[in-house]
This record gives sequence, structure tokens and C-alpha cells, in this order.
Amino acid sequence: MKPEPGTVCPPLEVTPTRVQLFRFSAVTWNSHRIHYDQEHARAEGFPDVVVQSTLHGEMFARTVLRWAGPGAALRRVEWRNRASAYAGTPLIFAATVTEVREAGDGHLVELALTGTAADGTVCSTGTVEVHVPSS
Amino acid sequence: MRGDPLAEVCARAARLRGRAERVRLGEVTVRDLCRYAIAVGDDEYAAAARAAAAAGRPVVAPPMFLTSILSWQDGPPEGELRPDGLGAQESPCTEGLPVRQVHGGQAVRLLAAVAAGMTIHAERSLTGADRKRGRAGDFVVLGLRTEYFDGSGTPLAVSDESVIVLGDADEA
Repeated sequence: MKPEPGTVCPPLEVTPTRVQLFRFSAVTWNSHRIHYDQEHARAEGFPDVVVQSTLHGEMFARTVLRWAGPGAALRRVEWRNRASAYAGTPLIFAATVTEVREAGDGHLVELALTGTAADGTVCSTGTVEVHVPSS
Repeated sequence: MRGDPLAEVCARAARLRGRAERVRLGEVTVRDLCRYAIAVGDDEYAAAARAAAAAGRPVVAPPMFLTSILSWQDGPPEGELRPDGLGAQESPCTEGLPVRQVHGGQAVRLLAAVAAGMTIHAERSLTGADRKRGRAGDFVVLGLRTEYFDGSGTPLAVSDESVIVLGDADEA
């Protein structure tokens, strides 16, 4: 694969469920109640339990690695949370190539990231750098 | 607590700033990695990892696994958790204060692959505390850095994250 700036990765569409958020909290030993306790989340002003920030990071990583193919290796992932996302809300994780540099046996590719809820709310944005080997 | 809880957060952060804490987190297991993969919906990873383990091949972790784990400790008893469910270890500078917090974002540098069987060590430090004013009131952005190493000291990853502390909780 020879990546080019402007290339858009196939988006990753995910609708996190309450069960998924509970299990992700469990495996990451994140006991913050906004992620699994609806009553507490509502008391903090959220309509439902909140998608973990690190789950956004994971989804961005998967979006890029699915596109980059076998042998690709993430070097850096950065994201900022712009708005909360909630259980049951469809999310689309998107990535667009912004820069490509030669790197020995392949390319270092930088991509811009956006996580968007079904109503158009941008929940998270960021950048990623991935090494893509020459095919 | 009376007074300004966000000022107290900043004061505590000033005392912690620059002090690094190095801890042994523990050994990564295939089960840890597969449970993580299943939780994020990556069923294919889990199947491939189990097959690799059965065949005696290395099982490399999903790249975001290490930095997604909030705590490797057993954690305090339930009665010692903050009202928001976090333990003091995961909630620096806020113990006993009427504040709530949300994650602001994260920057992760991945330096080497993590595999099942590795023993992970980490060095944590508080890198900053900036008080800011937003539309909903004041808040503090805490900067936290965690550097991860394997048992021989080889760097694996560096995570810089921001935690936003808001001073409007209605329970202490």
C-alpha cells in the first residue's frame, strides 16, 4: 500500500452498550461510576452511562490498524475528548491521512481522527502516527 | 470541606509535582489480553491469541491495552472509594474534596510491543495543574504522565493524560 494524503480510512461504526461499558470498566479496573451506574451518571448531569475516554482511543487505534493492514504498527495516538458519548449512541470513528514520510522499509503515516455521534456531535478528535510497511 | 476545593487540588498538585513514583504493576496474562479484546469487541484477536498461546507462540497485546488500564492495584475496599467510585490512587489530589472529574484526553507513544508473560513496571508523575475558567465555572486540568517498562527496564510506552477536575460536586 502506498498511502497518500487525503486518503480516508473506512470508518469504524460502533454502538457501545451498557454491558460493553461495564465490561470495559471491569477489564481496565476503572471503577468510576459514570461508566456503569446510570443513576450516578444522571446525578452528574449525563443522560446515560458515559463511554470511557480510553475506549475512544482503542476505537481510533482499530480504525487505523484495520486500514493499514498486516504488519502496521502504531507509534503514537493522541486524542482529546470534546463531548461525552453515551451507551446506546451510534459512534463513527474516522481517520484521514494528513502526511506521509518515507521510513526505511515503509512509510510513517499521520492521520487526523474524529469520533462523531449519530446526531453529529464531535465527541473526540486527535491524531495518530502509524508505520506502514512496504508491501 | 469549606473553602475552595480547586485551590486545594492545585496546592496538593504543587506538592506532588516532580515526584515520580515507580511501581511494579504485574505480569500480563493471555487472559488479561483476551478479556480486553472481548470487551472492546475484537473477537478475532481473542481467538487468534488463544490459538497462539495453545501453539506456544508469543501473544502480543493489543497496542492500547497497557495504557487503557486505569489501575493494576487490588484497589481499596468499597467503603474507601470516593463517591464517584474512584480510589485515591486513581484520583490524585482530590481525596476528601467535593469535586468530580472527567478524562480530558490522552497522548500515547508506543515504543515496543507488549506480550503476555511480560512483567510491567511504571513510573508515574504529576506534570501540571492548571486552573481555568469555563462557561460552567472553574476547573483544574491535571497532567499525569505514566512511563511503562518491561522487567529489564526497556521502555514500552509513555502516556500523558489530562484529568479535568470540576468543583461542583454536591457530595463530599
